[in-house]
Amino acid sequence: MMMSLASYLVISAFLFLIGIAVILSRKSLIAILLGIELILNAAALNFVTYSRFGSQDLDGHIMTLFIIVVAAAEAAVGLAIVIRHFQLKETIHIDEVSQLKE
Amino acid sequence: MLEQLLSHLGFYIPEVLLIILMCSLLFIEAGYGSREKGRVMVYYAAFAGLFLTAIMLCLNFGHDSMYLFSNAIVIDKFGTLAKLIMVVGTAATFIISLMVTDFERELKPEFLIMGVGVLIGGMLLVSANNFLTLYLGIETLSILSYVMASFKRSDSRSSEAGIKYLLYGGVTAGIMLFGLSHLYGVIGSIQFTEVFTVLKTVEGTKLASVLAGFLLFFVGIGYKISCFPFHMWTPDVYEGSPISVTTFFSIVPKIAGLSALIRITSIFFASNNELSEFWVLFIHLIAVATMTVGNVSAIKQVSMKRMLAFSSIGHVGFMLLGIVVIDTVGYGAILFYLLTYVFMTLVAFYITAILEDYYGTDTMASFKGLVKKHPWLAIIMSCTLFSLAGMPPFSGFVAKFNLLSAIIDKGYFSLAFIAAINSVIALYYYVMVTKYMILGDVEFSEKAKTVNFNNQLIISFLFFPIVFLGIFWEKVYTLAQNATIFLP
Repeated sequence: MMMSLASYLVISAFLFLIGIAVILSRKSLIAILLGIELILNAAALNFVTYSRFGSQDLDGHIMTLFIIVVAAAEAAVGLAIVIRHFQLKETIHIDEVSQLKE
Repeated sequence: MLEQLLSHLGFYIPEVLLIILMCSLLFIEAGYGSREKGRVMVYYAAFAGLFLTAIMLCLNFGHDSMYLFSNAIVIDKFGTLAKLIMVVGTAATFIISLMVTDFERELKPEFLIMGVGVLIGGMLLVSANNFLTLYLGIETLSILSYVMASFKRSDSRSSEAGIKYLLYGGVTAGIMLFGLSHLYGVIGSIQFTEVFTVLKTVEGTKLASVLAGFLLFFVGIGYKISCFPFHMWTPDVYEGSPISVTTFFSIVPKIAGLSALIRITSIFFASNNELSEFWVLFIHLIAVATMTVGNVSAIKQVSMKRMLAFSSIGHVGFMLLGIVVIDTVGYGAILFYLLTYVFMTLVAFYITAILEDYYGTDTMASFKGLVKKHPWLAIIMSCTLFSLAGMPPFSGFVAKFNLLSAIIDKGYFSLAFIAAINSVIALYYYVMVTKYMILGDVEFSEKAKTVNFNNQLIISFLFFPIVFLGIFWEKVYTLAQNATIFLP
């Protein structure tokens, strides 16, 4: 069975919205990082889809590969910073990350 | 194929040099970093590498526009000048970082390594000619910045700055990519030149989706230059990071982001059509909001770092005026503004840094009665603040004047009026600091030992261009204008 362009786009739009919802509603830093990954995956899926159904060139595929690599690097750095914060403050709750308000 | 690659590499020497520099610094640091001798080696190598890069950039300046690596990278005068400003700013920040003790001495070599990495990302962003290199540039810039923000390992405020930077950066980069993916779908290419040819003919529903794509795309760039709806991270990150990192953040990512925005505007929106009108209106609104929010919020700050953060938002709003013009005059004026802004930020942050070093606080209290303790420092700080506010005879005035004349030429009188009002607001909070320094009662009675001869000498050297560019600005301004002529 051949899936249409629209079904892919709907899936990626859902992924994007779920990512935003996770970022806005969850209070754990780890969960927010997961939300960011979901957004990046939505974009990656879009690139592959458009490459397959639209221009038929490899640009979209290459974009997707780079997105995956960069997302991994970002997650590694992000988790390292979160761990450092946990060692200092014993919490990863987002509401506790609020010393720097005037 | 190989010959072409090699000949292209010849024009890409500055970036290649920096990559080699970063790797060798990493090796030296890993091998000898635990000893003081090894650290000194890293410092010397970093400055030598930056110096060589600057020379190579100067040599590149003579060439015409070149498209390298299957059109992924464009080397032109505009980009080369922006890169040169970034390299100078980075070198000056490295000097500041070595002179102050804002974080552990053992970590200074790592700051230099990360700084070179961010510089590479910035250069990639400035010379990006397709969406992939643009995205890679932004991410190289950002990911290393997150680490730099949380450099002060024992301080939870620093790691909090890192977390805030990371969360904002990750979300905005994701949203930008989502926008880019739809742009790619509608247009069918990630190359700027091909996108441009398609953009000339889009209409109807396609136009709407392209607009949405560009709006989402602007989220990423807007976060990097911290303009209005995406500016919330700036004061927190500036305050939490060690001060040499703060200085770095207010130079390299700003220059890179604004240059990328200029390039995108000049490629995609130069022709007169609906899309361009929409973009002008959009940037128009963003510029007004950014200026006003930045300057009004700066008034009530007591922390010098926070005040400079908000004032930097105000300055970005002012620079966006040059993009509204959609003309090389505006772009040249922005480049000149960036050059003067680099020196003004360096001096302001340096003086804040050495006072914070000794008194342990960056609030206005450390500035009170400064003229009675360190008259030369107080004079330089006052002049720099006047220059930031845009008072003659300093370079800040020339930069603002050129931008204002560019927008008045195009008939945006209301915009010029708002910009002028904002300058007055800015003058108020800058003069408040000067008032504290000259009329305020001394709060910390002892003299700051960190204000020694070396620091004052470097500050004077950094201060010199502020005065020089304020008086003999024509040559440099013409250079900046000439650099932008060849933008497509």
